[in-house]
Amino acid sequence: MQFNVLGVAVAIALLVMVTGLGIGLATETTVYDDDIDYWIVPAGEGDRSPLVATGSPQFGDVHERNAEIAAIEGVDSTTPILTEVARIEHGSHSEFILVIGVIGSPGVDRVAGVDAQPLTADDPYYHGEDWTGEIVLSGGASSLLSASSGDSVTVSGNESFAVTAVDDGGGSMGEVPTALVQLSELQTLTGADGSDQADQFVVGTNDPAVAEELETVYESSSVLSRGELTASQTLDSDLPLALALTAFIISLVIGTLFVVTTTGLEIVADKTQLATMSAIGLSTRSQVTLTGVQTLSTTVLGGIVGSLLGLAGILAINEGIGRVLTVDSVALFHPLLGVYGVAVALIIGLLSLPYLFVMTRRVSGGVP
Amino acid sequence: MAVRSGQEAHTGPPPVVRATDVSKIYIRGSKRGRLSRLLGRSPAPRVTALDGASVTAHRGEIVGLSGPSGSGKSTLLHLLAGLELPTSGAVSIQNTPTSSLSERKRTRLRLESVGIVFQQFHLLPSLTARANVALPLVELGVSKRKRRRRATDLLERVGLEDRVTHRPGELSGGEQQRVAIARALVTDPALVIADEPTGELDTKTGQRVLSELTAVAEDRAVVLASHNDQTLAIADRVVCLRDGAVVDRYGGD
Repeated sequence: MQFNVLGVAVAIALLVMVTGLGIGLATETTVYDDDIDYWIVPAGEGDRSPLVATGSPQFGDVHERNAEIAAIEGVDSTTPILTEVARIEHGSHSEFILVIGVIGSPGVDRVAGVDAQPLTADDPYYHGEDWTGEIVLSGGASSLLSASSGDSVTVSGNESFAVTAVDDGGGSMGEVPTALVQLSELQTLTGADGSDQADQFVVGTNDPAVAEELETVYESSSVLSRGELTASQTLDSDLPLALALTAFIISLVIGTLFVVTTTGLEIVADKTQLATMSAIGLSTRSQVTLTGVQTLSTTVLGGIVGSLLGLAGILAINEGIGRVLTVDSVALFHPLLGVYGVAVALIIGLLSLPYLFVMTRRVSGGVP
Repeated sequence: MAVRSGQEAHTGPPPVVRATDVSKIYIRGSKRGRLSRLLGRSPAPRVTALDGASVTAHRGEIVGLSGPSGSGKSTLLHLLAGLELPTSGAVSIQNTPTSSLSERKRTRLRLESVGIVFQQFHLLPSLTARANVALPLVELGVSKRKRRRRATDLLERVGLEDRVTHRPGELSGGEQQRVAIARALVTDPALVIADEPTGELDTKTGQRVLSELTAVAEDRAVVLASHNDQTLAIADRVVCLRDGAVVDRYGGD
């Protein structure tokens, strides 16, 4: 019995950890400001990640619309977001970095975990002023490029950038090397300046009523709150779903085979006990029921132990990765994962029952 | 003790259990061997465990089965308990021929009419003494409260009132055998079958178990098998077996 509990527990623990990791990865890939309450994304945005947004629908006239959004009562801060993976060079170092173009403003503090405050407010180059060439590097980007504040760097072949600041503080993007630049300057580099394009808007507000007005800014857009975006991405992202589904199937198959094998062996080993039960008058049906109850209670117990182990494993993963990569969390820790683990253990038990019933019937009876 | 009396001379009510001219032949060998035999390539290796044995036991009577190892005592007990069916002849428990019953009905018959005490006790190790005793009552659908009361009463009767919540691993051999006796009595069966009930016990503990079995026989039939004369001394009649056949009887009228 202990083997069964242990076997199921291991399978469920792995399932919970992999599922938590999958959901965690799915929900951590969005570029967001830590204080942002709403995202405006093109309709159908949920099926892609902003990190790989090349060729996806974008918003136009974003500076103008950003001003409109800022004028909405209750909006504390707003900025369009344009993301591009660009080659940044510094001396002999040359790396691909996630470059994010934003419009700096007093309310926009951190974007993708990088401090946006060092950027001059209101995107001066867009308003006809001089090219700022400001770039704020995350700790990871700075380390990769060996660049520090004041150094000149080349972004996509353009040599007119200087590191305004390096932000070592951890954020939602963790160790992903990230750089913030003025939106219009990134648009110029990428050719998105013609239609003044960006991928999404992040809007900070404490007033839920503004969501309705935000929906009117663009016709084909979706306004998502933090929770909605998380849910949308979790549901729409194929990779985590595939990861979780694979973990589910593997756990189910391995768990069921394990329970069937070990319990089957136990039944054969307990032949004398079954024969004793028959001898004292317990029907085969009662013995089968006993086997069923024993199997289900064993697997559910294994599920509970496995879920606890899995949740502890998630904490350990987050703790371990947090120490190495300065990321808040990679895997999602949620009590519902425990319920999920127990439910899968119960399914394992149910799937094992038919074979074990047949085994019990075959072994039962005779003389002890 | 009267020796070499005739056949069972009861003239009262019908016996609780009756075996009439029963034989039991086992066919041994592997499945491949069986196939070979079916094809006529080799004769079936047969082992005759019992050969035309007859025995009866009435309410209030203890019948002993004696004989050396391999004489057929245990086989005859298994037939009398309805655990196995005879190859030929007939066994009736309370006038019900066991051969006419399905496996399920034979199990039910054992539940209601037969209590079995095994040499090696065969208690379920994960259950307490009380739960072991009460187990057959679960099958009968007796309520939990009544089951507990009945099992506790029986354990008190066999002197184990302070061992009610102990598991078999925490009990001595004698205590386990007394739990087994209590289990055999829990459904108030008409017939108690005991196979070498003192075989695993020391003399003193064995005497205690035998006195329990003697008390048990007051209102039911007891058939016990042993090759120990002290154990057989509690029997009203003794049937001697050798090579599967009854070779002698003694005791009784």
